[in-house]
Amino acid sequence: MAHSKDVKKNGPISKGVSRRGFLKGLGATSLGVAAASKSELLAKLEHAPSPNGTLLGKNAVALTLNINGKIHQVKVEPRITLAEVLRDNLGLTGTKTGCERGACGACTVIMEGATINACMTLAVDAIGQKIETIEGLESDGKLSKLQESFIENDGLQCGFCTPGIIMSSKNLLDTNPKPQLEEVKKAVSGHICRCGTYPKVFESILAAGK
Amino acid sequence: MPREVTLKVGVGKNLKERIVEIPDNAPRPWDGSDDLKYVGKRVPRVDGRDKTSGRAKFTFDIQLPGMLHAKFLRSKYPAAVIRKIDTSKAIKYPGVKAILSVQDKLPLIVRFAGQEILAVAAETAHQAAEALKLIEVTYDVRKFVVDKDLAKEKNAPTVFNTQVEEKLTEGDLPGEHSEVTQKGNVRGPNISPKDATPEKIDAALASSFAVVEATYRTQVQTHSAMETHGVVVDWTAEDKLKCWASTQAVFAVRDELAGSFKLPKSNVRIITKHMGGGFGAKFGVGIYGVMAAKLAREAKAPVRLMLDRKEEHLCVGNRPDSVQSLKIGADNDGKLTGIKLISYGTAGTGTGAGTSGPAKNIYEYDHFYSEESDVFTNAGPGAAFRAPGHPQGAFALEQAIDELAYKLKIDPLEFRKINTPNNEIRQAQLKIAAEKSGWARRNPNPGADKGPIKRGIGIANSVWYYFYGRNFQVSTQVNNDGTVKVTNGVQDLGTGITTVIVTIAAEELGLKPSDIQVSIGDSEYGYGPASGGSVTTGGLSPAVRDSAYAAKMKMFEIAAPMLETTADKLAAADGKIFIKENPDKSLSWKQVAKKIPGDNFIAIGERKEDYHKLDIGTIHGVQIIEVAVDTETGVVKAERVYAVHDCGRPMDLLTTESQINGGIIQGISYALFEDRILDRNTGIMVNSNMEQYKIAGALDTPEIESVVLNVHYGQSSTGAIGIGEPATVATAGAVGNAIFHATGVRVRELPMTPDKVLIALEAMKGASS
Amino acid sequence: MNKFEYGIAKNIEGAFDFLKEPDSKIKAGGIDVLDLMKEGLEAPKRLVNIRSVPDLRFINKGENGELRIGATTTLAEIESSKTIKAAYPALAQAAATIATPQIRNVATIGGNLCQRPRCWYFRSEDFHCLRNGGDTCFAEDGENRFHAILGNEDDCVVVHPSGTAVALMALGARLVIAKNKEKRELALADFWVTPEDDVTKENILQHGELITEIILPKPRQNESSFYFKQQEKQSFDWPIADVAVSLKLKGKQCEDARIVLGSAAPIPWRVKAAEQVLQGKPISIKLAKQAADAAMKDAKPLSENAYKVAVFKAVIYRTICWAAGVDPFAT
Ligand SMILES: Cc1cc2nc3c(=O)[nH]c(=O)nc-3n(C[C@H](O)[C@H](O)[C@H](O)COP(=O)(O)OP(=O)(O)OC[C@H]3O[C@@H](n4cnc5c(N)ncnc54)[C@H](O)[C@@H]3O)c2cc1C
Repeated sequence: MAHSKDVKKNGPISKGVSRRGFLKGLGATSLGVAAASKSELLAKLEHAPSPNGTLLGKNAVALTLNINGKIHQVKVEPRITLAEVLRDNLGLTGTKTGCERGACGACTVIMEGATINACMTLAVDAIGQKIETIEGLESDGKLSKLQESFIENDGLQCGFCTPGIIMSSKNLLDTNPKPQLEEVKKAVSGHICRCGTYPKVFESILAAGK
Repeated sequence: MPREVTLKVGVGKNLKERIVEIPDNAPRPWDGSDDLKYVGKRVPRVDGRDKTSGRAKFTFDIQLPGMLHAKFLRSKYPAAVIRKIDTSKAIKYPGVKAILSVQDKLPLIVRFAGQEILAVAAETAHQAAEALKLIEVTYDVRKFVVDKDLAKEKNAPTVFNTQVEEKLTEGDLPGEHSEVTQKGNVRGPNISPKDATPEKIDAALASSFAVVEATYRTQVQTHSAMETHGVVVDWTAEDKLKCWASTQAVFAVRDELAGSFKLPKSNVRIITKHMGGGFGAKFGVGIYGVMAAKLAREAKAPVRLMLDRKEEHLCVGNRPDSVQSLKIGADNDGKLTGIKLISYGTAGTGTGAGTSGPAKNIYEYDHFYSEESDVFTNAGPGAAFRAPGHPQGAFALEQAIDELAYKLKIDPLEFRKINTPNNEIRQAQLKIAAEKSGWARRNPNPGADKGPIKRGIGIANSVWYYFYGRNFQVSTQVNNDGTVKVTNGVQDLGTGITTVIVTIAAEELGLKPSDIQVSIGDSEYGYGPASGGSVTTGGLSPAVRDSAYAAKMKMFEIAAPMLETTADKLAAADGKIFIKENPDKSLSWKQVAKKIPGDNFIAIGERKEDYHKLDIGTIHGVQIIEVAVDTETGVVKAERVYAVHDCGRPMDLLTTESQINGGIIQGISYALFEDRILDRNTGIMVNSNMEQYKIAGALDTPEIESVVLNVHYGQSSTGAIGIGEPATVATAGAVGNAIFHATGVRVRELPMTPDKVLIALEAMKGASS
Repeated sequence: MNKFEYGIAKNIEGAFDFLKEPDSKIKAGGIDVLDLMKEGLEAPKRLVNIRSVPDLRFINKGENGELRIGATTTLAEIESSKTIKAAYPALAQAAATIATPQIRNVATIGGNLCQRPRCWYFRSEDFHCLRNGGDTCFAEDGENRFHAILGNEDDCVVVHPSGTAVALMALGARLVIAKNKEKRELALADFWVTPEDDVTKENILQHGELITEIILPKPRQNESSFYFKQQEKQSFDWPIADVAVSLKLKGKQCEDARIVLGSAAPIPWRVKAAEQVLQGKPISIKLAKQAADAAMKDAKPLSENAYKVAVFKAVIYRTICWAAGVDPFAT
């Protein structure tokens, strides 16, 4: 995958951080946390780690995040959410927040192959995790087939919920390339689209899955 | 010099000739004989690329160097007088740069929980929120009333001690302004027809063959756009203001800011490149806009003030609720004799709870009488909301019509035909809807299904009106490399006007949509419509076409000598300019553009009066909805919807369909789920979030089949009419009728949640045993 | 949200170390904790992340055929576990219908059991209710359409929020609770605290205690279970009634039944009276309806929620039928 190259190229990540951690992630069979990369990264945090864990103070700490295959360093307090870091620190404003409480899905990003609400995820918990946002779907200035399908089928109106919905759709197609309508509906059931574009969202995903 | 053209106008394929007088420099209006290449076809959204890639910058996303974050302190109480505010601790809090009260002098009178008291600007949003906690407000708490029925009572606490002026926005119906009296908390009644008394209608109904009478209740719905209200303000010079606003009316926001700060209009620039939904609630600059600008001036830094989800529910608008007592009658051949509507509702501290539109404007009848009142309560003000008053009105009227049809043993669809005999469009739509839905196969007896889960199918009509605005200025710039850019200040709420502009320009210029660049959402561009009353497409599209047409004429003038002919002999298509009679004699668009003197030219199109009034001045729609009602749990699911609507000549079918889908889904959400709940004991909204304020999601979405019926009027160069509002009017009424058909029981209160459905079923059981 | 220290535990000992701070709080998925903190209802000095403890995240068969689920196993993992789907369908069904796909990817089973009620007064900074240490229950004569119809005689009328708790109770689950080096096992049924006992708590956990595992007993022969959640809207919604039924069947004959109601009372509510109706009888729609009536015999609806009694009756009889393989809609 293209991401690995970027990681190598951009990464301040030193040896010992296995690329496996980024590439493989959580296997469906193992329920173990992708420990290697994460503990390494935690070890780099300013606060001395004990063998049993790491205690961060309440003030800003430097975090290393892997977003769309690029390594970013930010300095934020532990209370800062991933959504805030993406938007405010990194300017990745494609990820929206609509309710701040996990009830609208606008902030959906993919973390280690699973969709999450970035507004309910602490940025520190994203250390060592592979994060994908809407900005990562294009490659070389070309939209992905899924994005093209959303345009072609008018799977959007005002567009505010769209990045989140596309991330849930991508995650569905990553794991289930030819989904049925019911599976599509379920996959995007954690999103509110106030314009009521759902029927064309379904069409967009089904068409991209063909 | 005006000239006359003969156009083919009419409904669907049923066309007749009409002579229309148009200005000399205007294109022949598109009519029923035109088969166009892009217009009315499925052109994908031109801003789709920005929106699907995350590149689109909404106001919410604007980040400026040194930008501060502002937040409001809001009243905890629904009624109070604030005499003292202590900000001394807050102003010292780290990061805080400015604190300003919304009112220069105290006391401040609070009329609803959530009303703005003051705003803080700080370096981070967290700091602003923390500083708010340090502010001490001394409230002199007063008695309040949030229940409109209690508010009507004599000894109820009064929300206002003074006469309230009705504030209308571009989202409200023009001419809605009513001169009525205000007594206690009741403003009204507004009687229609003016000076009528109830005697006549009562007599007409008394002598009718059949009469139905019932009271219907609808709830308060909040707009809940995904992007909240808000602005980012930047004073670029001492007397120059730049403001990104999530608004439906770029020019109105500019005017209000210019007015508030006594600036010339040209010193205020409003930008709305992408906008995350409005639905009627985002017309003015709002207190938030003015406060953000004041804070920015005070702190000498740009300020971002976006409301949060809770504020969005509390204080920036909602669809007022209603109680509608409706009595209608018919004679023995099913003709409506009269409609009598007594209606009141609350828009909180605002006005606009009227509901009579559908009752007045859908059917043909002999007599009509309505009384409408606003009841003030200590709740957030209402605002125009997608077809103001109409989903409420149609919920009541369309159920009453249904009930009367059943009483007369006339098929409900047939009954609707009988009572709209002179409306060709409605007749056509009812016919299409019947065919699409297989209406004839429907069991005529309600409640026929066995078992606890019963299916039913219901129908409702909708009505809306044709507004279009005037004087919009669209410019088409053609550069000598052949590139074309169309510009207008209008904002795109997600309705697709950007795509419509491109589609029309491409059609007129004989280019591809991808050849046209477009720039919108900026008050420094030509005047554009506020997006309310479904005016945007009907209002702007003729100016777009006329501007492109003027540009084309210029290109023809340049091309004529090159092709050794005169401009009037030329046509443009497929990227070429050619002689009509001899298409082989052609030049490419680019070849001609090269000869543009200097660098470019700009051609202006202006929206003028329509060429003539529409024969039928209303916009129609029919929706047929299938539901499944679980009679043991009261849960209702909308399973399928057939919708037939008209919007003149549709400009882009793809985005038109999306608007119809959206209207229906919002309507279903209104019918079954949404409800702003104010705690009766404290006046505070308990479900000001997106979890307990329930909005339809993917799994609540029915299958939708929609038909757009082309109606050619030849009233403007494009013949377009808006569709944003009409599509949400019929839905709740159709769901109500479908529930009746499924169960034999009328649910006369929204939202039709399990509690209400079960109560209605229980009442029937009680009545029949 | 207030500022807080953040302890990222690598192992269980680490979690206990970090929890020595008296003003600390466990964070698993964080969906509930962050929600409460964002609303300003809780402001701990320290959060202790246990999602980072690999030893707490597993689904394992135990020695005696029981199933052991680590406390930080996510709802998504439970929903898709073949083992759970086959042997404990009610639990998989409960997990699968909670919240949204995004939340299920993060929320843990331990956190789901310990989440605080969703009463809109309790969850709002605008109200200082009994459960938040105030002196009023605003729901009792306020907006109580979604509140308790059973066990609501004491001052607080919240309903229990956890969907998995309802299923786990019906399946006879036990918890392993640890504190430092000590460990104890407890029936889930004994985990809950009623408003009468302590209105500010929902369970018996003391500060510093951790649920490490949830143990599901080996399914008895011919045991079948079913969970159903009735929502008003289908795309994520809290239940207006949810019911888990586990039956030990011999043919259609019910040898033993466990019926547990969620969203009915402040704690997951086992209805023994209903279970007795089924005892020793062949399951039919009629019998199931009798059981449902028995379950609702003691219901005392509040001003706005009488409809919930009818909804529960329907959901109870249907869930019994589904658990027994009987079509509840057969005519
Ligand atoms: C929109 C929305 C809809 C929802 N719908 C539903 C629904 O329908 N049904 C439902 O059941 N839930 C629903 N939820 C709630 C959600 O499922 C819970 O918040 C979530 O399961 C909590 O799990 P968590 O791991 O995130 O817990 P956390 O937030 O991390 O923790 C919750 C509580 O448990 C404590 N805790 C966590 N783990 C342990 C442990 N191992 N030992 C001791 N204490 C522990 C924490 O200290 C905290 O007090 C919904 C939430 C949202 C936002």
